[in-house]
Amino acid sequence: MVSINHYLVLATFMFLCGTLGVLFRRNLLLVLMSIELMLNSVNLVFVSGSRLLGNLDGQVMVFFIITVAACEAGVGLAMVIALFRRYGTVDTNFLRILRG
Amino acid sequence: MSQELLFYSFAGLIALCSVMVVTSRNPVISAIFLVGDLFLLAGLYASMEAHFIAAIQILVYAGAIVVLFMFVIMLLNLDPDQRSQVQIAAPEVGVLALTVIAFAVVGGMLVFGQPTGVSGEMTAEAINSAGGNTFTVGMVLYTKYLWPFELASMLIMLAIIASIVIAKKDRPKSATEGDKRRLAHG
Repeated sequence: MVSINHYLVLATFMFLCGTLGVLFRRNLLLVLMSIELMLNSVNLVFVSGSRLLGNLDGQVMVFFIITVAACEAGVGLAMVIALFRRYGTVDTNFLRILRG
Repeated sequence: MSQELLFYSFAGLIALCSVMVVTSRNPVISAIFLVGDLFLLAGLYASMEAHFIAAIQILVYAGAIVVLFMFVIMLLNLDPDQRSQVQIAAPEVGVLALTVIAFAVVGGMLVFGQPTGVSGEMTAEAINSAGGNTFTVGMVLYTKYLWPFELASMLIMLAIIASIVIAKKDRPKSATEGDKRRLAHG
């Protein structure tokens, strides 16, 4: 029986990888993929907690998180396409209108 | 014992794939490693007897979302010089340090307060005798979480409409030269 701590450590590592990708990559597509990675680490915590507590609500939450992730990916990629069409780049160093 | 072996091999591969997603220079390679990551996570879910979530993970994530990413990557066809240089600046490092500190706190809590095996009523045996994982998850989803389920369908509808509106082509005017210059210099 693998204890929940193993799953938590793995999820923490995945979340840190996603955080690094969001913070340090300049490609907007890579940023979106890193967000998917972070969402997946949260899903892993939900499922392992659901098994630990003997409660199925966690798995239902994962269902909803996957739904929201699908919506987020769709809208995010549409925004990437619109930005690329307008400015010809997806580099976050050039997309800085809102940076002030 | 075999379950631990399964977990350690899957966990190692997941960690490797996550690192490769973030560090790979080519977005296509990143997307392929992301697919590997999602499949391995589905394996972990199946080993935790969350079969419904494992199937959904493969269908929705690996089947739909990553394909969408692939389409956009192929559509944009980025030049090599636009690919993935790493940037390091002070605010990002600060946020990263905060994240690491938060995770250290969580780790300390884990070390000092071991989670005991608190078991609710839905143990693996209870689920099996009640008709399997998919059946029980469906029962919870369509009774207790019926309204959130309906709201999720509304959310998907909104996302579809928003994607179409955002990515639509008939912008009346594209960016002028002044726009681009202002953008490039902040």
